[in-house]
Amino acid sequence: MRPGGEETPALLLQGVGRRFGALAAVSDVSLAVARGERRAVLGPNGAGKTTLFNLICGDFPPTAGRVLLFGEDITALRPHHRARRGVGRTYQTSLLFNGLSVRDNLLVALRGARPGRFSWRLPPTADRAAAQLLAERVRIAALLDTPVAALSHGQRRQLEVGMALACEPRLLMLDEPAAGLSPVERPELVALLRSLPRDLTLIVIEHDMDIALPIADLVTVMKDGQVVVEGPPDRIESDPMVQAIYLGHGRSH
Amino acid sequence: MTPGTARWALPASLALLAVLALLPLAIPAFWTANILGRAIVYGIVAMSLTFLATYGGFVSLAQMMIAGTAGYAVAILVPGAVPSILGGVPYALAIPTGLLAATAMGLLVGLISVRTQGIYLLMITLSLGVGVHLFVQANIAWFNGYEGIRNVVGPEILGLPFRDTFVFYYTALATAALLYALVLYLVRTPFGLALQALRDNPRRVSALGYDAPLHRIAAFGVAGFIAGAGGILVTFYNIGISPGTIGLGATVNILVMSVIGGLGHPVGAFIGAVIFTLFDTFAADLYDRDRFNTLVGVVFLAIVLASPDGVLGMARRLRDALAPRPQGRADGIATSRAASAGPPASGNGA
Ligand SMILES: Nc1ncnc2c1ncn2[C@@H]1O[C@H](COP(=O)(O)OP(=O)(O)OP(=O)(O)O)[C@@H](O)[C@H]1O
Ligand SMILES: [Mg+2]
Repeated sequence: MRPGGEETPALLLQGVGRRFGALAAVSDVSLAVARGERRAVLGPNGAGKTTLFNLICGDFPPTAGRVLLFGEDITALRPHHRARRGVGRTYQTSLLFNGLSVRDNLLVALRGARPGRFSWRLPPTADRAAAQLLAERVRIAALLDTPVAALSHGQRRQLEVGMALACEPRLLMLDEPAAGLSPVERPELVALLRSLPRDLTLIVIEHDMDIALPIADLVTVMKDGQVVVEGPPDRIESDPMVQAIYLGHGRSH
Repeated sequence: MTPGTARWALPASLALLAVLALLPLAIPAFWTANILGRAIVYGIVAMSLTFLATYGGFVSLAQMMIAGTAGYAVAILVPGAVPSILGGVPYALAIPTGLLAATAMGLLVGLISVRTQGIYLLMITLSLGVGVHLFVQANIAWFNGYEGIRNVVGPEILGLPFRDTFVFYYTALATAALLYALVLYLVRTPFGLALQALRDNPRRVSALGYDAPLHRIAAFGVAGFIAGAGGILVTFYNIGISPGTIGLGATVNILVMSVIGGLGHPVGAFIGAVIFTLFDTFAADLYDRDRFNTLVGVVFLAIVLASPDGVLGMARRLRDALAPRPQGRADGIATSRAASAGPPASGNGA
């Protein structure tokens, strides 16, 4: 608790906007995600959800507004500095290191936010053990030596999550983690998300309400680059605006 | 590299080293020094390019210039060089200085080109190479201009002159073997893994906490060190160094070696260097000297057309044809390039 009585939120966006030429992909988004909160972000295709993640992780700077991480203004920081401050994420389209094995992907992810990135010593046993553990958590331990290029879509998604966890982020952002997963893999993903440490702050973009709503404390709905509704899952599910969006555009994923 | 390739890499490398170590006992001295020895010293320079291209995805055309930086530094410092520029610095000190100079030049090239990729990287590294070449050619005080610096004979090793065929050959072979092992070791370390990650997906690397530009510059520094070692040996081999050593022709030769040998593994640089050296030495005998370059060009074009990934690629295809494996080829630079070629924020397709 800080002197003001309010605890600093894990993530605070103040009037954040991003234009691509004439297109306002994100405009005037303000939101606060509390420490340890699970937030789901919903919205139709092109609503600006992924762009919002890109702004938070620093792929490009916002054209308006400020991004604060645990009270620190990170708006001008480059991505690697944000990662070292605890921002971790996955990508809607898996961004893996295709020339490397699953193990090496995890080893790279493990070192990123820690010292020893330039180390000329073979990865220590601790790193290898951590990679093994992560692979078990996302259920790809049998594939550690497999080249990533040979993984199935579902396995790539699992590794995607494993790599984000490897950084031990304080704020974890998952971009449609369930997209393309099989009916068997989906409950596994939900179980994994439920098993995350309680002090981790989690933001999940997810079209599948069966996955998003059970784990979420709060839901933010975006449309045309703006936040249109925010509230607890039970209210969101019955919100006429949300129903219109999802019925109108179809749940295309 | 697939685990399948990795399993064979060590025994195959050791066997190759044994063959190269024993070969001079069976072949004429000319072959030892002017074919194998020469191929090895230029192969080291080519390997610095192969290292950058294979593991980082950076094709640098400045590697021969960086090699020459070390060569010139040694030539300027050592006693007995003609003309004597600084002179008087023993080889034991001059050689480390040369390596340091090449590493620094590698870092500088990496720094200058850090924002470029693909054809632009090619252009900027080529300009740096040509720029230094022209500067050296015009500068008399430090580099003796067009004529260069002669009589850089190399250190005595165990009391034997460096000019001795075997002293030269085994020093070159040992250096090459060490640097080759260094590369294969380095790519297993966090530094080397992150370099390969950078090749496959720079955006993800940054998002994981790596300072991608810094990492890239460091890789150019390592490549500079390797090129420098090659450059010093090239200087001893030629008993001196002149602007021609680092000119456009020499730069292209290094590129040709790397490419015909095949990117994908450091051994490709040496395979390419041997093929190149054989042709460079004997093509003139087989064919009208004036048209020699045409013949060399045609042969290399044929190799690259028949197998865009060089001799290594040919070998890989042969192996796969003889022993087909179900999971197919996952190694090779082309695969990873193609898979990471998408635009950065391609968030809409999944
Ligand atoms: N790098 C970019 N350059 C130009 N336009 C972009 C870029 N990234 C996103 N956009 C545009 O911004 C808008 C929002 O895209 P965004 O990917 O954020 O949507 P989304 O909510 O994640 O949608 P989806 O559910 O399809 O993933 C889209 O119109 C998209 O075309
Ligand atoms: Mg998206």
